Amino acid sequence: MDKFILNVIHRPELVPEYINTDAVEGKADDLGAKEVIGESLDIFKLQQDIAHRNGLKCTIQMTYAALYNDEAIALAKQYHEEFGDEIAHTFLGVNCEEFRKKYGLKDPAIWLYHMDDKKRIVVDSFERFKEVFGFYPTSTGSYYMDADLIAFIKEKYPMVKTAVATCFEEGPKVFRHANNSWYTIMDGAPWTAWIPSKYNSQAIAENEEDDLGIVAVPHLSRDLLAIQDNAGDMFGTHPQNVIRGLINEGDRLPFQYNLVDQYQVMKNYNKGYSYNLVYVGPGWMGKAGRWETGYETLVKSYEDFLAYYGNLKKEGKVEDMTMTEFADWYRENKAINEPCCALWKDTLFGTKNQVFWYADSQMRATVEMKMGGAIVDLRPYASKLRRPVGAGTKANQDASYPYIVHSRYRAGPFVHYAGEGAIKSAKIRCGAEEVDLSSCRTTATYEEGKGFRKCILRPVTIEFQTLEVQIETAYTFWENTGRIEISRKVVGSSDPSKKVVIDEFLTSCWGTTEYAEDLTGCTLSVVEKDGTRNDLSYDYRCREFKADNAAAVEAVIPMVQTKVSLTPADDDCTGYYEEGYSFAPNLKIGVYKEIGLNESLVTTMKLEQAEEI
Amino acid sequence: MSQGITGPINYRCPQCLFRAIDYDLLYDKEQEQYYCRRCNWEGEEIEILGFYSVYKKQYKHMLKRWTVEQIEAKDEEE
Repeated sequence: MDKFILNVIHRPELVPEYINTDAVEGKADDLGAKEVIGESLDIFKLQQDIAHRNGLKCTIQMTYAALYNDEAIALAKQYHEEFGDEIAHTFLGVNCEEFRKKYGLKDPAIWLYHMDDKKRIVVDSFERFKEVFGFYPTSTGSYYMDADLIAFIKEKYPMVKTAVATCFEEGPKVFRHANNSWYTIMDGAPWTAWIPSKYNSQAIAENEEDDLGIVAVPHLSRDLLAIQDNAGDMFGTHPQNVIRGLINEGDRLPFQYNLVDQYQVMKNYNKGYSYNLVYVGPGWMGKAGRWETGYETLVKSYEDFLAYYGNLKKEGKVEDMTMTEFADWYRENKAINEPCCALWKDTLFGTKNQVFWYADSQMRATVEMKMGGAIVDLRPYASKLRRPVGAGTKANQDASYPYIVHSRYRAGPFVHYAGEGAIKSAKIRCGAEEVDLSSCRTTATYEEGKGFRKCILRPVTIEFQTLEVQIETAYTFWENTGRIEISRKVVGSSDPSKKVVIDEFLTSCWGTTEYAEDLTGCTLSVVEKDGTRNDLSYDYRCREFKADNAAAVEAVIPMVQTKVSLTPADDDCTGYYEEGYSFAPNLKIGVYKEIGLNESLVTTMKLEQAEEI
Repeated sequence: MSQGITGPINYRCPQCLFRAIDYDLLYDKEQEQYYCRRCNWEGEEIEILGFYSVYKKQYKHMLKRWTVEQIEAKDEEE
């Protein structure tokens, strides 16, 4: 397969948040302001013209407001007839005079409403869509759509095939970037198209029974390295977002083309397939400009961006589809639990940094090469964690799929005073000396085979006072099993007669933000070869235990219904746990063994569903 | 002293930008000065542009074009 697919989505929002803010500054909220609606429609028409000028097909997502605007309706019909654009639906931009009169509510998008209001809005807007166009939409979307909302839509309107269901990694970083006022708190989903689970729309479905019934796509396609330590709203297939990040000199922003080209490279890791979604709301091309950037530059950036896709199309390198066409293609060509892979390279910061992303129905994992191949972000999809969001739910605005490792939110390899941060890494010991592999920068290669994807790190050198060894790490992700096989091999040594200790460990916790959550009641276990279990109920008492000849070490984090274990392939491994304390609110499990040149410590880390509290 | 307004150009606070917060500056037309309501930064346009220029230095390859082939070949040496 050689397929790079593009969805271009436009929405006649009519009351886009940024234009409205600018236009009504100093005035009372006026949802019917003619200057705002007129400008918004002009931008929509301009965006459509730019796409069509470049031979690109679009998906027109009709907002609630647009369904009550004769000009927007007429335009959608015209574009459909003339260019084959899909007339679709969105739950973004619900606010307008009609909506406010009917509901008296102000949330800008559907996922934050009470479930009863969500249901009313779904039926109301879908029926209005049918009344206007004579058919129900087959694609819809919002910044976020939880499993309950999608399930309700599928029950009432089974013809829906696809939805924009999340914004990739718009979590605490984006919230902070927007002065703690932009409530797209939704870290944890795949970065590209997936079929969501009935339990949680952020997780990939396990099988047919678990299939929520749509193909989900993220709001934009983002730089998978830049978003790790920066707000994702500057690094996506959205030229004005790139300008927001000041990644431009005037109208020059080659990063946007680099981003598209790196997504083409993603075909190498996904059996010849890759996907891009372009989705720029009209508020980003307002006449008043956006922040310090003037209208002309904003428009030119969009013209240049779509012209690039247009040229790729002419060269046969990208295929433009509507959202529904893409959903049909995905269903025909991809498995329900299709793994997603990405070995992403830095093209912006001038480094050799690389990161490997892997997602399937059991997990999403991020391996960071500048940290020696440590797993720095781990989301346990195996736990099938139900997490309804919106008013009236426990999570409310925080839609993020919880992590059990997050090395940026929860310190990782560097702490300021005591304890250890959350990370999956290994330590190498020689006598009293110890080196964490997370301090050894490297790069990686990729392999795949029947039922597995493999990230192989180039060997790193560990310098002890009297010994120098080279260690090679390899991660084998066994697809949809919850198992990651981790190999640490001594591939070089300055003194082959000497051995080193490899300590394979996981420092874990749970949460969705930077703040620590309660670990009381988590269970830590060392299971010995004879079946003896040594269990501890977590209570911040700094207790430790180890046993020789360990069969496995385990941790159960019931708050996120997750069990994680490390099982060494070899005998003669010591297993241990460390409880942690309030200034170091993590739990730690590990196995270690002494090995020599050309020997390996192979450990399987497994994620499983556990009972919740 | 009258209220602050959006300046001739709607700049974001350069100091807040460095800690990853987008925060619109206000403009004091009497003193011809921009100021931030969140942090303690105030200054003129030329200072803002200076900050922005430094901010962009994190993007060492901001103006570098990487093609598909170049990305595939990048860092592939042993």
